[in-house]
Amino acid sequence: MQPHLKKAFTLLALVIIAFIFVRSLVVPSSFGQYGWYRGDSLGDIRNFPVEYAGSTSCGEENCHKNIYSVWIKDRHKTVNCETCHGPSEKHVNNIREMPEPANDSRDYCGLCHFKRVARPTTFPQIDPDVHGENMRCTYCHNPHKPWFI
Amino acid sequence: MEVTRRKFTKIGCKVILGAAAVSAIIESVVTNGTAAENSPAGEYDWNEHFWGYVVDTRKCIGCGRCANACKLENDVPFDEPVYRTWVERYRTKRDGEVVIDSPNGSINGFPEDIPPEEVKKAFYVPKICNHCDNPPCVQVCPVGATFATKDGVVLVDYQYCIGCRYCIQGCPYGARYFNTEKGTADKCTWCYHRITKGLLPACVQACPTGARKFGDLKDPDSIVNKILDEERINVLKLDLGTKPKVYYIGLDREVR
Repeated sequence: MQPHLKKAFTLLALVIIAFIFVRSLVVPSSFGQYGWYRGDSLGDIRNFPVEYAGSTSCGEENCHKNIYSVWIKDRHKTVNCETCHGPSEKHVNNIREMPEPANDSRDYCGLCHFKRVARPTTFPQIDPDVHGENMRCTYCHNPHKPWFI
Repeated sequence: MEVTRRKFTKIGCKVILGAAAVSAIIESVVTNGTAAENSPAGEYDWNEHFWGYVVDTRKCIGCGRCANACKLENDVPFDEPVYRTWVERYRTKRDGEVVIDSPNGSINGFPEDIPPEEVKKAFYVPKICNHCDNPPCVQVCPVGATFATKDGVVLVDYQYCIGCRYCIQGCPYGARYFNTEKGTADKCTWCYHRITKGLLPACVQACPTGARKFGDLKDPDSIVNKILDEERINVLKLDLGTKPKVYYIGLDREVR
């Protein structure tokens, strides 16, 4: 081989080797494990903490069994415990960690039940100006068993 | 043949460097080729699932509990106007004008700011990342920090994202936002940390009317497959070819 070609090839080989070396340092080891991304990030995302434990965890273990059995039979059974009572996974793991009390204000019930034009007409709605004389809804309605008292 | 010390060192160096380069190349080719078949470690096997989502706009009452639960579950900055899911309100007035709004992503409800007499037609539409099968946001990422998993969820690698915001520009659904606390792009994960443990996404669980449904497209008995078989469904921006996996029932032509 001619000496000038030999030099060029040696240089090229060195450049390639340097590239591979730098790449192995910079690119995380799990990159490309499943595709063009860092495979370990799947584990990172899957290990994020859960906040909402689900209604069944309220009813099991005899904790809130009575109120659960009332709620599960009535019209508000589609509204999960944590929709009003807030995320409870911390409370499930440690009962001393109390969740915030449920918001029983008129406006909170109104998020679903105040009359709005965009709501489906079949959904039960009230006109807050004429219904209930500005009292708390829970004064007359039991949110766990929502028909009158 | 006599080998001088100089020649011996030269040959030795060449052999070592060559072997290192060849083994590195072979290793990278082999790992790329085989590992894609495996599932990440753990009990959950992503080869057995392919997730899908159904929104029934006829059932949505605009209470915003989904958007609220999403922010609390996923540590989305609560007081900033960024949302992984939100509810839009469409109102067609009697003069034909269409008013579309989503005050605070629906979290505080929808005040009636147009007199109801002037509104001819109105409805709510929940919005969320469509977890496209052909995601434009993944294509534009320059560093491989966003990707589609084998079970059909588009995720962001928060350690690897450089915060260039290309993906936010690339998403035709406006489903991505910039998380100022993390300094990265951020988006809905369909609560990947929940669904891989057998739980439902927080927004689906929080919905009081069942307007949001989530299930496995690979399971013929899942709620999503049942709805897809029975209802007339549509997706957002079908013509873009992004192949969304959020299916809508009762989608109006005004909804983009």
